[in-house]
Amino acid sequence: MPSDALLEVRNLKKYFPVHGGLLNRKVGDFKAVDDVSFIVPRGKTLGLVGESGSGKTTIGKCITRLIRPTDGEILFNGVDLTKLNNRDMRKMRSEIQMIYQAPAASLNGRMTVGQIVGEPLLLHEKLKGAAARQRVLELLHVVGLKEEHYYRYPHEFSGGQQQRIGIARALAVQPSFLVLDEPTSALDVSVQAQILNLLQDLQDRFNLTYLFISHDLGVVRYVCDEVALLYLGKIVEVADVQTIFEEPKHPYTQALISAIPEPDPTDEKEEIILKGDLSLSKPDVGCPFAPRCHAAKVSECDTIEPPLVDTDGGHRVACHLHPEAV
Amino acid sequence: MSDNLLDIQNLHLEFHTYDGVAKVLAGVDLTVRRGDVVGLVGETGCGKSMTALAVPRLIPMPPGKITAGQVLFNGEDLLAKPDDAMEQFRAQHLGMIFQDPTTNLNPLFTIREQLVDAVLYQRANDQRVPGRWLGWLPSAKQMRKEAYDRAVELMRLVGIPDGDKRIHEYPHQFSGGMRQRVLIAMALAGEPDLLIADEPTTALDVTIQAQILRLIKSLVKQFNLTVLLITHNLGVVAKTCETVAVMYAGRVIEKAPVRELFKNPQHPYTQGLINAVPTKYTQRGGLEGIPGLIPNLIDAPPGCRFHPRCPHVMDVCREVVPGEFWIAGEHSVYCHLYGDEA
Repeated sequence: MPSDALLEVRNLKKYFPVHGGLLNRKVGDFKAVDDVSFIVPRGKTLGLVGESGSGKTTIGKCITRLIRPTDGEILFNGVDLTKLNNRDMRKMRSEIQMIYQAPAASLNGRMTVGQIVGEPLLLHEKLKGAAARQRVLELLHVVGLKEEHYYRYPHEFSGGQQQRIGIARALAVQPSFLVLDEPTSALDVSVQAQILNLLQDLQDRFNLTYLFISHDLGVVRYVCDEVALLYLGKIVEVADVQTIFEEPKHPYTQALISAIPEPDPTDEKEEIILKGDLSLSKPDVGCPFAPRCHAAKVSECDTIEPPLVDTDGGHRVACHLHPEAV
Repeated sequence: MSDNLLDIQNLHLEFHTYDGVAKVLAGVDLTVRRGDVVGLVGETGCGKSMTALAVPRLIPMPPGKITAGQVLFNGEDLLAKPDDAMEQFRAQHLGMIFQDPTTNLNPLFTIREQLVDAVLYQRANDQRVPGRWLGWLPSAKQMRKEAYDRAVELMRLVGIPDGDKRIHEYPHQFSGGMRQRVLIAMALAGEPDLLIADEPTTALDVTIQAQILRLIKSLVKQFNLTVLLITHNLGVVAKTCETVAVMYAGRVIEKAPVRELFKNPQHPYTQGLINAVPTKYTQRGGLEGIPGLIPNLIDAPPGCRFHPRCPHVMDVCREVVPGEFWIAGEHSVYCHLYGDEA
């Protein structure tokens, strides 16, 4: 494990059972995450990008152990999270926190902001009363909320402010790693910009490491240092953000980038329109992307699944058209 | 003025709530030229969907109430039409697609039933027969056959592969993008003049969004459609529209051809909005949000509704609602900063 890696995921798999037939027995597996490996360097942001159903949220949930992975290792600071029992995992959770997509749904509507942000302090540090209140007020200040918000309820806030409450709650236990699951997808652009800036400030201030899950490539380009692209539960390409956007190698990455609607009417880039949609039943053999691929195919595409190989200096691609390092 | 298909003038819409009267639209001016694709952009709660729904008169009244203004379609005021004439008008001239394709299809009926219904409804209006009597017409059987053929034709037009087979399936057997195509087919059933698309791609993935936007653009050419596209996504606007109107808190605040708007935005809100979207040139830490929050429309700020958040606020902004000032050609802005140029 490279010394600067905070989190390393090795061969992570999460299969969900598919039931069917007369007795509703298990008839197969749905491979939501299928043999995914990546590294998140300390203090950096790794973007996990993919369309709906590509498995990006499932990976986030496996890392925070909200669900148990089927197989694989998740090394956090060298400790394998998948091997921990629940008691040890609970201690670990003060290091790994999560921020969710729908801010309103992730806050308990019957608790005040003070209680919401204070609860992790009580659970992890047994902090109560005036000391807890003091910490909560500091946290509210850090995320740009005011003291008078302490006794208010989540419904009294706008979406952007609710997301700030969620961030304050995540920061309460002084984590070193945050899983951000589409933190700005539910927000308007002007508020999204505020939240993205806040997240970057916090990263610099507290030396945080982010796993940034998103489907919005424009946002990913702005906040991430490295990007991994997922397609049907598999990583198809990983590289640093500049390489991904300037020299994408996988046809799927090329298509996704060409489909970002740039807010610039003079932008004349050629758009690659993919055939069909992300059908969740991928072909049994060959490249999972082959049925939608627009690139010139080679015969292996329909028969052999391409491995993720290093093409040059950390740029890894799973495509038969880029067999440099095979 | 026959150039303008749709002309909304000074539209005021209120909602009566327990907390008071929310002035949701406060003088919206918008013209849509025939054959144009007009984008209506703004953030949550700015009234863009309300403007769009006011055209086919789909706003429930009460609690809604239109207190002033006109919606002229081909020079005819839609707000003055009796209800039954309006119903016929909708079938013949308007098509509408919405954000969430799932909730707009009935899960209990096959696509065939829903699409054939849409076609038949249109036919009934052509024959000036109320829809429920259609089955009693002597030509009913023939008409059903024709409507079915037309439905399959529509499936082909919107790019659904194997349309003649898939038409017998239920909505849950279609993916999100395919459902949106079905809804576009339904909207096209009446050969409308104006297609109102309310956030048509918001629920879809980017690759599917690109497919649907391309489809809408090709339909515009093919059928000489006029489109009013409502969206919060400036990228979608830049890619699809020819003219743009930006809304803030119930008013249109800037109108311009699309290239002009992005190159030379004049209203401080438009500038803020464009700067808030990360592009390939945005450096780390270089993204600017707009400080503050959108106002509560029950107690909206007097004068220019953007003034509490505006970096260039002047005294006059707090008191007087800015009128329309022309910048150049077809570019106009509702902001006091440009008052002396008027």
